[in-house]
Amino acid sequence: MVSPLGATLEEFHRSLAAGRSGIRRLAPELAARSGVQVGATLDWNPAPYLKEGEAANLDRATQFALGAAAQAIAASGLPMTDRERIGVSWGTGMGGANTLEASYQQTYGRDDWRMRPLTVVMSMSNAAGSNVAVRHGLRGPFANYSTACSSSAMALGEAMRAIAAGRADAMVAGGAEALLTPGVLAAWQALRTLAPADAGDASASCKPFDKRRAGLVLGEGAAAFVLEEESAARARGARIYGLLTGYGNSCDAVHMSRPDRDGQVRAMKQALAEAQLTPRDIGYINAHGTATAVGDVVEAEAINAVFGETAREVRVSSTKSLHGHLLGGSGALEFAAVLLALEGVLPPTGFLEQPDPACALRHVAREAERISPPRAVMSNSFAFGGSNVVLLAERA
Amino acid sequence: MDTLGRIRQLAAKEFSINPEGLDPKAPLDTLGIDSLSFIEFMFKVEDEFGVSVSDEELKTIKTLADLERHVAAALAAAGKA
Repeated sequence: MVSPLGATLEEFHRSLAAGRSGIRRLAPELAARSGVQVGATLDWNPAPYLKEGEAANLDRATQFALGAAAQAIAASGLPMTDRERIGVSWGTGMGGANTLEASYQQTYGRDDWRMRPLTVVMSMSNAAGSNVAVRHGLRGPFANYSTACSSSAMALGEAMRAIAAGRADAMVAGGAEALLTPGVLAAWQALRTLAPADAGDASASCKPFDKRRAGLVLGEGAAAFVLEEESAARARGARIYGLLTGYGNSCDAVHMSRPDRDGQVRAMKQALAEAQLTPRDIGYINAHGTATAVGDVVEAEAINAVFGETAREVRVSSTKSLHGHLLGGSGALEFAAVLLALEGVLPPTGFLEQPDPACALRHVAREAERISPPRAVMSNSFAFGGSNVVLLAERA
Repeated sequence: MDTLGRIRQLAAKEFSINPEGLDPKAPLDTLGIDSLSFIEFMFKVEDEFGVSVSDEELKTIKTLADLERHVAAALAAAGKA
């Protein structure tokens, strides 16, 4: 876990339970150039994970990935004996955006075309996942998913598939994103979907499901997991944080950016069917909830369509209000958030004071809610391009 | 600092190795420096000294001592040393 809410899973969970926001004002120069005022940035210290000279030759997203993967592997206690049976399944939206943008500044900006030789291998989309494989010698199946905001949720779901298909005994699965660069921020700003800084409190700029919501706030970071068969984890006495039992994957096939209720419904239903669960079994939904005008309403409609009467009871929140939107990294990060919910601590939608009636949900607003640990929880990740991924986690 | 000293210092930083432990005559691969890492390192050496080493010359560089010779020659040719 390398996040705007802490550098370990425990810190991340503590921040979520406290409803603390990691969103803040961007550095003045970055804000001036991009026109974007706020972001969920993190103060990155590569020292625990990288040797002194290494960081300079790895994109920021790759550095985050190496940090998150190292933590996950250590926490798993997985015996790394047969590394041909351990693979990597990674997700990222824009890969090495920092490297690529720096190279463009140099070439187009300064007309200096002498590129550093590592530009290609630092910026390629699979750089983060591949570096995780190299670092730990993981020679099993490898895949890198790049489906915008559902990338790393898909990486987790497909990792589960790889294990179920017998292609691997264990998979390191996760996602990373680091794109708070002037160019990427300006591109997002041009889409008119980013929230301006809240006048009174910059950390409260992202307000999903609130009448006052004004858009999303971009964030950076990485999260990783080690997945293996439940029986194998039990046999070796591993600490099991949760069971990934359902994975839904659908495409709207309607529009590049406008979400579609039916596509989201299909993904949620698929995940429930695979896990052989009913809406009553779900105690909490970590919504995609980006705080855009249209997106939040469509997701609320989709949840109501799937959950019916149960929608009045199932608690919903969007933790993007606190950690920002990590795009390709968000699915994995939010799967870490639902692990907290499995313990009965439901992280809130921060700053939700005036719920939009068009988002008729049982909100966990402003403060975490404590309930008896639910049997199962859901995490939604819906992406530009119409990709919908839903993950279900159950208590071990 | 002399040319070799500066190269050693750059290499130590790039590859996270103690400069004292860098044998200028040791083949680069025995120092754990692969071809891709070396090409990136050469880029930084060229920047540091303001010289250019051709692809043909690059192929003949097997040790840090070889590298120093090429850089010194390039500096001399450019009238910088």
